[in-house]
Amino acid sequence: MSLLVGNGLTHWFGRELALDGVDLVLDTGEHMAVLGDNGAGKTTLLRILATALRPTAGQLQIAGLDAFREKRRLRHHLGYVAHAPGLYPALSAVENLEFFCDLQEESRTRVGEVLDVVGLTPVAHRRADQLSRGMQQRLAIGRAILHEPRLLVLDEPDASLGEAAADLLTRVMEGKTVILATHDHALANRLCPRTLELRHGRSLGTATRLRVVR
Amino acid sequence: MNPLRVALAVARKDLRSEWRTREMVPALAQFIILALLIGNFGFQIDARNAPSIAPGILWLALVFAGLVAFGRTFAAEREQASLEAMLMTPASPVAIFAGKALAATLLLVVCEVVLLPALTLFFGTPLSVEVVAAVLLATVGMAALGVLFAAIVARVRARELLLPLLTLPLWIPFIIAGGQAVQSAMGLPGNYQEAIGLLLDFDILFLVLTSLAARFVLDE
Repeated sequence: MSLLVGNGLTHWFGRELALDGVDLVLDTGEHMAVLGDNGAGKTTLLRILATALRPTAGQLQIAGLDAFREKRRLRHHLGYVAHAPGLYPALSAVENLEFFCDLQEESRTRVGEVLDVVGLTPVAHRRADQLSRGMQQRLAIGRAILHEPRLLVLDEPDASLGEAAADLLTRVMEGKTVILATHDHALANRLCPRTLELRHGRSLGTATRLRVVR
Repeated sequence: MNPLRVALAVARKDLRSEWRTREMVPALAQFIILALLIGNFGFQIDARNAPSIAPGILWLALVFAGLVAFGRTFAAEREQASLEAMLMTPASPVAIFAGKALAATLLLVVCEVVLLPALTLFFGTPLSVEVVAAVLLATVGMAALGVLFAAIVARVRARELLLPLLTLPLWIPFIIAGGQAVQSAMGLPGNYQEAIGLLLDFDILFLVLTSLAARFVLDE
């Protein structure tokens, strides 16, 4: 069953065409990677899918709901990791997550579990501005999964994570429908059976990973 | 979603961040003392003219401290890219706005705790409950407007220039009514009750209008 259906997603930034009629279908539980060079339109597409940006044209349905008319309702089911971690530097890792629990109406008991999943329990009480860039990225990923969303939209989540990226993302993505943008083709192949390639805002089509069976 | 819980969480987060970084309040308190010092040396103050000069200095210091305090509420969120994360939650934008406005109001009240006794010290004017009430009532409406415009201009580059241009004309009713209330509380002719009534009316009017507008300002 399709969780996400996008038709003709198009976005202009002034006179610049960032995304040109991209069609996309994502089934429940499916993991898809979006690949492409810098400026290909990956971030624009992911911001649209996360309902952070309204497309100039095109329709988007998530879980059967119009993604822009009912975006506030949808956000209960949506987790988004943007380019920048967007944390509160003076608050500790725990306090950052507790704040978002309050905004999501989620029990604060989730904070401990999430810190465990992203491997930040030892630095739970350290201020966000005293965490390394990789730890900040882990915290941003933790924030996105606090409310156990059905759909995860991850914009280059592997940035600054180093070698731990694949294991961490495998844990985080388990049981969820995921679309992730990355430059790392090997990581995309490892985590996502299907890939979508973008070039100059246009979709070059999707490809399915082939498994070699001996 | 419980809007009160969201508003309180946002306000608590802003106040906790300020307490840890002490970015704004010490700077504003220093600015207020300097403004009073300049006013004190710039005018020939004596017991007769102090009640007519002191309210002007009080409102000037308050207006400029308010512009800085309210301007930072959304600028800091934009700079650290945290505003989008907050708006990506199902929380109501009006509740988020209310929380930001509450925190900004409380920070300005902390500055007023420095301002009002310092005014008495420099100008010898009485520090009465009437003066405090007038200043607090004006702060509420000014904060609602200031934080709303801070949210609007946070998206543009020349926000430091735009915020006073947009905010000051709409603060004029508070300065007029608040000025009258403070002057009459300091013994000059004027109707204190009428001025306080006007301040209350302006507070209600602008709290309702800014809450309605906040949804559209913060939604996209």
